[in-house]
Amino acid sequence: MNGTQWQGRWDPLRELQREVGRLFDSLDPFQPLRNVRQYPPVNVYDAGEGYILSAQLPGVAAEEVELTITGETLTMRGERKRPEGVKDDSYRRQERPVGRWSRTITLPDRVDSTQVSATFTNGILTVNLPKAENARPRHIAVNSGS
Amino acid sequence: MNATHPSIRVTVGHQPPPAAAPGAFAEASPELQQAFTPPIDIHEGPDGLTLEADLPGATEANLFIQLEDNVLSLHARIEPPAPEGARTLHEEYHVGDYYRSFILSDEVDRERITAELRNGVLRLVLPKADRARARRIEIRS
Repeated sequence: MNGTQWQGRWDPLRELQREVGRLFDSLDPFQPLRNVRQYPPVNVYDAGEGYILSAQLPGVAAEEVELTITGETLTMRGERKRPEGVKDDSYRRQERPVGRWSRTITLPDRVDSTQVSATFTNGILTVNLPKAENARPRHIAVNSGS
Repeated sequence: MNATHPSIRVTVGHQPPPAAAPGAFAEASPELQQAFTPPIDIHEGPDGLTLEADLPGATEANLFIQLEDNVLSLHARIEPPAPEGARTLHEEYHVGDYYRSFILSDEVDRERITAELRNGVLRLVLPKADRARARRIEIRS
């Protein structure tokens, strides 16, 4: 998620860069491996006053997640364990991911790190990230120059 | 492809959620949300099978488990995590309902199936029916 283009500006050079990148991607034999989905999947929303980040982490308890924030970078890590006492050979089907995971997310703007709060309900981690005071849109009164 | 275990069969492939489901389903939003197939684990113990499904966002109130004939189906309705009016900046998972169904054999004791939902994981215990359980037969001298 690093390097995500947050601004939707039109940039002809970026378009060109993307096209060239795509051309090289098509020659890359490892391309299918690069598209492996990152765990956990994360959504980011802009709710005006702040950003809301939500991550799907079923089967993980709140105390098993480590969340840190430095500037515009949010890091979360943890481990998803298999239930204890279940032997490997007793599995008839196994589709759910297990193991250590970590993700680093670059936020679109500065946030007020002292006001960040997180909740964990029903396997969804929700992080509320209020925008930093000077990153919030400010209404500027226009004086008539009479 | 369907035969994972004689006691339970997992139907593979996309299935539409039940169109006309009773009760709570009827309150669904007018446009039918896309349903996702949740990942599952099945493991076998001496007393039966345990099925675990990842259903992040599901609550007891919006999860419906149904057993009809020999088909066990689960359907979870999911509420969007962001407040209304929030703009999506980045999306790696789509928010939508979960649906999956399984075919149970007669070896499962339907009366004793139990379900537990914790941290977005559904755990279904499917005990073996008495007659399917291994039994030691005494040999009389």
